[in-house]
Amino acid sequence: MDREEVKNDFKGHLITYLNLLDITPDKIKDDEPLFDGDLGLDSIDSVELIVLLDREYGIKINNPTEGRQILIDVNTIVDYILLNRTK
Amino acid sequence: MQKVFITGMGAISSIGSTVDEHLNSLRSGKCGIQTAKYFQSKYAQNLVFGEVPFSDEQLRQRNNVASKKDFTRTTVLALNAFNEAIIQAGISLEVLKSDKTAFISSSTVGGMCYTDELYSDANLKDIPSNYARSYEGSDHTWRITEMFEIGGIVDTINTACSSSANAIYLGARLIQTGRADRVVVGGADSIAKYTVNGFNSLMILSDQACRPFDENRNGLSLGEGAAYLVLESEDAARNKFKIAELNGFGNSNDAFHPSTISENAIGPILSMELALQMTGITPDLIDYINAHGTGTLNNDLTETLALNTVFENVPPYNSTKSYTGHTLAAAGSLESILAILSLNNDELYQSLRCESPINTHQSRPIFEFVKKNLNYVMSNSFGFGGNCTSLIFSKCI
Amino acid sequence: MYLKDVYSISPQVTHTDEFINGNYKIYSKNILSVIEPSYSEMIPASLLRRMGKAVRMGIGAALPLIERHEKLNGIVIGTANGGLENCINFLNQIIEYDEGVLTPTHFVQSTPNALAGQLALMSKNTGYNVTHVNGPLAFENAILDAMMFLEGATNKTALLLGAVEEISNYNYNIDLIAGRYKSDYIDNNKLITSQTKGSICGEGSTMFIVSNDANNALAKLINLKQINYPNEIDLEYLLNQFLFENDLKTEDIDLLILGNNGDVQFDSWYTLLKSFFSSKKEYVYYKNFVGEYRTSSAFALYFATQLLKGRIHHKGIEGDVSSIPKIILIYNQFEGIHHSFILVQSVV
Repeated sequence: MDREEVKNDFKGHLITYLNLLDITPDKIKDDEPLFDGDLGLDSIDSVELIVLLDREYGIKINNPTEGRQILIDVNTIVDYILLNRTK
Repeated sequence: MQKVFITGMGAISSIGSTVDEHLNSLRSGKCGIQTAKYFQSKYAQNLVFGEVPFSDEQLRQRNNVASKKDFTRTTVLALNAFNEAIIQAGISLEVLKSDKTAFISSSTVGGMCYTDELYSDANLKDIPSNYARSYEGSDHTWRITEMFEIGGIVDTINTACSSSANAIYLGARLIQTGRADRVVVGGADSIAKYTVNGFNSLMILSDQACRPFDENRNGLSLGEGAAYLVLESEDAARNKFKIAELNGFGNSNDAFHPSTISENAIGPILSMELALQMTGITPDLIDYINAHGTGTLNNDLTETLALNTVFENVPPYNSTKSYTGHTLAAAGSLESILAILSLNNDELYQSLRCESPINTHQSRPIFEFVKKNLNYVMSNSFGFGGNCTSLIFSKCI
Repeated sequence: MYLKDVYSISPQVTHTDEFINGNYKIYSKNILSVIEPSYSEMIPASLLRRMGKAVRMGIGAALPLIERHEKLNGIVIGTANGGLENCINFLNQIIEYDEGVLTPTHFVQSTPNALAGQLALMSKNTGYNVTHVNGPLAFENAILDAMMFLEGATNKTALLLGAVEEISNYNYNIDLIAGRYKSDYIDNNKLITSQTKGSICGEGSTMFIVSNDANNALAKLINLKQINYPNEIDLEYLLNQFLFENDLKTEDIDLLILGNNGDVQFDSWYTLLKSFFSSKKEYVYYKNFVGEYRTSSAFALYFATQLLKGRIHHKGIEGDVSSIPKIILIYNQFEGIHHSFILVQSVV
């Protein structure tokens, strides 16, 4: 999977895991902050994202503090997935 | 309005199966948090819990209900503490049947403590388990009501971690408004896969025994137990030994987030202020606070701010969750009892494992056992859903 | 205590005038699901995405009231089970992922106080906030709590008081194996006369604004009583004692609202209660409209307010109302164990 494919794959999972209503992958900008932005995500969502990374890409993140440095926007997460995925 | 007195107390947790055993554990600094012996889970050995050191069977036998196979662990824990409380208060079986005797309990996990059986029953996987009629949050309340034929108003509260503090609040209101002469109030919860995995999924469980108010705390430790108090009106308690008086209570909502508490401590400040207002005393008269003090990053920081906002000079405070773990719905009534033990013995107990206290404020939790004359004590309970409750008790001697 | 306003979401179309105009929904199944209004106008998508059905319909019923009544002093909710769908979803995850990495949203949303907490959050209400979960008496306990809160309060003090219960496949299954639902399918309008064991399952959320202010009130809630584990021979004494305490006699009651649920094992309690009144006493049922659930008495109370206001010209699916009643007694019981009386009076 190239970067573009991973990105679209991730955005699809993002919408499913967070049950984002009325939002399509093209509405999520790559460099828009996921937290404190238009999407209105909060601390519970950050844990949901950690579960997403574990179940879909086999990436373990052990605590929300570690997560906060990775879960900034779609770009940072996709970079991290490309480097660290185990499935 | 009738005054409200405490005439009986009963408690069971990882640090004791009677109120006296709790007193001994507090005095000797004995912590009940360790790896689990009876709780069956993947986490039983790699996390630590404040587990009551008896199996379900042993608990049933201790309470003479060995044949009641549909009594859950939550129910037998409740029964254990309920019995101790009514015996101390001298409430006869006949008096329990009176329509002026009420019972207000609380639980969060309730009958759902048997996660695997519930999974099977809810998904119709197998023949119905023993517990098919035992899963509701109010199950333990009704089992006890039926056993003792309690004749008055019966209620079950769930305001998450402040549940039994609100049971105390409502019991007091029943007495003040003349709807009951005496009320048994409290709560019970048992360690369950449901709650362990729930708190774990939120990443707020500590891998070691919790360290409330420590700069390096990293989460809470789950406990279990039950605690009940007998509240009586002034008239009903006339010729009885009064353990303490319940002077004031405050209930508020933080209105901030489903599972975290606001940084500016709106709910906790309000519940403490309401309790002080009702008691009719200034904050400087509070001699000790049994804090909510879960050991999570969020709670302890916010509570420290709340204490420093309400009190110019923060009174001595500790988190007895450092002994018992977080007993969820039982926490409010259990910690009220522990606060009353402090009050009546004029003793302050060390808050365990707080080595480098939170440094946003000057206040520090109690760091060693000391004798001190106490007149008014406060107990705080805050929960998911923003539910905050504070209670104030005073000496009766 | 006065009921100032009400909003009900139920298996009938109660969020518009269809139900009070006599357009009743007939279902040929044993699960009566709520007919929900559109939430997208009132609940932001960022919050709605997390809500399970119980929280969603509770908020859907409460928000219109919160908008019409500013400055509420608190929120008191009754629910036996809260968000059970979320609860069992989380439980299923525990087993299916063998206690692995789990998503927390279901856990947070499953706690029964999630609704009262979310309502406080959405309306920035830092006031009194309690959730009662006392099984079949959860709503009755919430009423009592609200009454105690208002005693001695000013006329400006007001609370949101309500109830919610949701059906999920899981709680349907649990009650099914406990023998609480019928094994055959029947139409809900034939529920009361079905003569078989068990009932049919319903759900719903009904919310009220309550205060001490009689101005423009829908009705006065005179008092209520709970009774647990009674003997049949005690029911008459308990009824008369309750009426006496409220300066009433059986003749003063204009209408009975009865909780018959078509369970042949327990409906005899209602026959017994009726026998204490004149044989001409009028009565109506309500579970034929909404099915059986632990906090269905909140729907009965909504029904009572509409009858007292003369808004419903009851066509008599079961029972009849010949004139607008002034005092109504609601009687409900659960498996012969838990019973409640609620007295409601019209406000002139």
